[in-house]
Amino acid sequence: MKARPGPIALWALLILFPLLVSLSDSAPFFEDVGATLILAAIGASAWNIVGGYAGQVSVGHAIFFGAGAYVPLLVFSLWEVPPLAGVPLAMLVAILFAVAIGLPSFRLTGHYFSMATIAVAELVRLVVSNWELLGAAIGMQGPATPRGWWDLIFRSSVPYYYIFLGVLACVIAITWALERSRFGYYLRAIRAGERAARSLGVPVLRTKLIAFMLSAALTAVAGALYSIKIGFVNPESGIGILVSVQMVIIAALGGAGTLYGPLIGALVLIPLQSATNTLFGGGGSGLTFIIYGGIILLLARFEPGGLIELWQRLRAMVLGRFSRGAVDAA
Amino acid sequence: MKKGNFLSAVLVAATLAAGPALAEDVKVGAIYPLSGNAASAGKSELDAIALAVELVNGTYPDLVSLPSVGKGGLSNLGGAKIQLITADHQGKPEEANSQTLRMITQDKVAAMIGAYHSNVSFTATAVAERQGIPFVVGDSVAANIMTRGFKWVVRVTPIASDFAKNYMEYLQDMKKAGRKVETVAVVHENTDYGVSIGGTVVEQAKSHGFNVIADVAYNANSTDVSAQVLQLKEKNPDCVVFVSYTADAILYMKTMKSLDYLPPMIIGDDAGFADPAFVPAVGDLAQGVMNRSAWAVGKPGSVTYRINELFKAKTGRDLDDTSARGLQAMLVLADAINRAGSTAPDKIMAALKATNLSQDQVMMGYRGVKFDERGENTLAATYLVQLQGKEYVAVWPEKSALAPLQWPMKGWK
Amino acid sequence: MILLQVVVGGLLLGAVYALFASGLTLIWGMMNFINFAHGEFVMLGMYVALVVTWIHGGPEVFVPIAMVALFALGVCVYFGLIKHVTRGPMLAQILSTFGLALLLRYSAFAYFKADFRTLPESWLSGTLNIGGIFVQNSKLVAGVMAALLTIGMHLLLTRTALGSRLLAVSEDRSAAMLMGIRPDRMQALAWGFSAASAGIAGALLAIGFPFSPEVGATYALTAFVVVALGGFGSVPGAGIAGIIIGLVDQISAYELGPIYKDVVVYGLFVAVLWVRPQGLLGKF
Repeated sequence: MKARPGPIALWALLILFPLLVSLSDSAPFFEDVGATLILAAIGASAWNIVGGYAGQVSVGHAIFFGAGAYVPLLVFSLWEVPPLAGVPLAMLVAILFAVAIGLPSFRLTGHYFSMATIAVAELVRLVVSNWELLGAAIGMQGPATPRGWWDLIFRSSVPYYYIFLGVLACVIAITWALERSRFGYYLRAIRAGERAARSLGVPVLRTKLIAFMLSAALTAVAGALYSIKIGFVNPESGIGILVSVQMVIIAALGGAGTLYGPLIGALVLIPLQSATNTLFGGGGSGLTFIIYGGIILLLARFEPGGLIELWQRLRAMVLGRFSRGAVDAA
Repeated sequence: MKKGNFLSAVLVAATLAAGPALAEDVKVGAIYPLSGNAASAGKSELDAIALAVELVNGTYPDLVSLPSVGKGGLSNLGGAKIQLITADHQGKPEEANSQTLRMITQDKVAAMIGAYHSNVSFTATAVAERQGIPFVVGDSVAANIMTRGFKWVVRVTPIASDFAKNYMEYLQDMKKAGRKVETVAVVHENTDYGVSIGGTVVEQAKSHGFNVIADVAYNANSTDVSAQVLQLKEKNPDCVVFVSYTADAILYMKTMKSLDYLPPMIIGDDAGFADPAFVPAVGDLAQGVMNRSAWAVGKPGSVTYRINELFKAKTGRDLDDTSARGLQAMLVLADAINRAGSTAPDKIMAALKATNLSQDQVMMGYRGVKFDERGENTLAATYLVQLQGKEYVAVWPEKSALAPLQWPMKGWK
Repeated sequence: MILLQVVVGGLLLGAVYALFASGLTLIWGMMNFINFAHGEFVMLGMYVALVVTWIHGGPEVFVPIAMVALFALGVCVYFGLIKHVTRGPMLAQILSTFGLALLLRYSAFAYFKADFRTLPESWLSGTLNIGGIFVQNSKLVAGVMAALLTIGMHLLLTRTALGSRLLAVSEDRSAAMLMGIRPDRMQALAWGFSAASAGIAGALLAIGFPFSPEVGATYALTAFVVVALGGFGSVPGAGIAGIIIGLVDQISAYELGPIYKDVVVYGLFVAVLWVRPQGLLGKF
């Protein structure tokens, strides 16, 4: 990867973010929003592998998020081990789900695939809300007070922020490696046209399935980080349809099928959510969602390719003015 | 560049939300669902809490029998006023965490009150616990909120086991009075509210010697409930206990009428049956429905009557039980802050723990307010009310009854 | 006897689902476009009915008014928003109607508040007793309307010149343009029809169902299932799938318990999709 100023500046800002806001007297709140943002970026980046690169718009990723959120709290409630210990198992469960859902569903394309994933996710949510072992409708809780650092319960959000940031870096690095590999070309070929890809010798089903498994495992990590931080999960917050929709919206807003699209989407959407709720939520007038919905609508109307395209256009404009040379197509 | 936008957006948000504040004001953070499915209930409860703050800050000579009320501010803090900071948790635990953290660290609230949904109270109290800020739970009834050994949380409301016991004692009284009460059906919605109360009611019914012939869980978003009503019609229990939210409670009454099925008695557990929309919508069909309520408007001239008048002037409707429990919790908190004589969280918490209010110092039907070591109100109680005409009136236990009890219920007949 | 009542209940509920879904499938099939704001259209239909009752109009007045108002809204939404995203990526389409849904839902929220509403009693509020089987008038009317609407829309698409032009645009936009059809006008009309049917559905549902601005989401997911089960774009498919889902819903709620009915409905749906991916009547 050529050293490009954009991504480097972005990472530098993300790393320095807690330091920057520590000057503000509302630092703990900003740090918490920051951690939420990075977590959302992890989920959306994981979704992006199958939803963006392979163009298979899954609206059922809440299953994997939920597996990630539930398994760590389940191992805690069964054996009192730190929730962190459940993360590998959570990833495994998510991968099994991905195989079970992917094998029959990948014969479906377009909206049918989306609908099938929604329906399976609803099924799983309904089963979990009636399953005593998983806390049924009431949900599951983590340790109430930390027994040691390994419970990952901190008073401040900064440790979460850096843990999440590290995971995000890994997810983006994996995506980056994927993008350059033969596998990445397969994915894009499938997105461009499944029939054409097959005729070129791309093993379509296998490629989609592997991408789905990888995406599921990484989404499960996001879910695990969520439930470890919040210390609680119930069917709605773990497997609710809004969990899936949020991943899709963030990736689409930033630019699906691009390396930094999901992160850019999260950088815009999460602060937007937080700011509108902080400003207008307390009044109870509904203004929060009028503004939030309006902005999403306008972005879709005027920037259908996502914010990253806007960024690239701006960059091309600026570069063009200086060099008039060929623009490095990102 | 993106980062800059983000920061400035949030900073603007921060400054605006903080708003103008007088130096001696005591800030209290209130977090409720103001959007999403429960927005109606959340807004109503927040209105009631805002009224509680007005009662504390203003001068109301006729209400001074309630501690710290009507004296124009908190007397032990030189007449300081309470300033209410409000936030919307949208029914999401993670939003509740983030907004609670914001109010504690940015607005520097001295104490918190909330949060309607049990699961949201569960996670928001954990944030307050870690930050060392008192959190008063006004209305959430799930047991697990108070069983974690937290030091910074108290709960004023009666809880699931209290209600369930009341229902069964009432039914036993009816049995003693010669009415036929052998079988009970429990119908509850399937989220933490319905499951925790429904489960407790079933347990208590069995231990009080009733035969539970149906225990039906359903999804509160149901667009149709006729199958459940037909199940009830077939089993024909002597009493049906509903644990329902608003739309489903209304739908049950309408569906029962259209399928021509009326059990001898219905007990509705608060929430949907107490929603301000319930009586205008199906009051004519639900004559004689029993409901729990720790709140009663009372006779003209009484403290409760006056409070209801004030609420009505503000919002155009009567105070309901859920909102009234929130109002009472806010008054308990205000009194504790006053007795602490300080805005230091540890002093307020100590004062809260030391709360000892008698029956005539509270506006609700509690026997008073006194917390045990877990933070539960040991004197919490509720009475049963019955829909007669356009209003719920207290009918049980007999000593607080304002009207004779009707059995069986009349319904639409 | 009780089982018969359950079946009748299922048929009536199915009619409601069909009513809800027919407009959705029109857009989905014709433009390959998922409208996430369809539930909000229905919600607005309910509030139109509410406002009309304030000035003392009964169902004979508010149903047509809701239809006309929502038709106008549908056309406006098409020209203001949909036209510009319809040839963009599928994700932009999802984003746009998701944003629209939030905007509409919370605009209603800001104006009408979060409170639950019910319509006052009218000549449609009662119940019919047919030999011990109880049928709510409002649901009966909704059922009849659903049947009429489904048949009417099907005939419109298959038997009229306007229908041929609508279908021509959905088959091949540029070829249709060469034939002298203006695709924008046709698609705006489709959005108008779709929204108008949502308006009728909302106004009829409001008679028997308490509602708040959040009500759209309650129906939306089931409506998607109905549409996909019936086959995208197949209006008769939506009708049949609506009835099937309604019956399965009621019978499983009665036999297994209400919390399992959704499990059965979604399970059935997934199974059908895996066996017959194009839906019951879909062409694929």
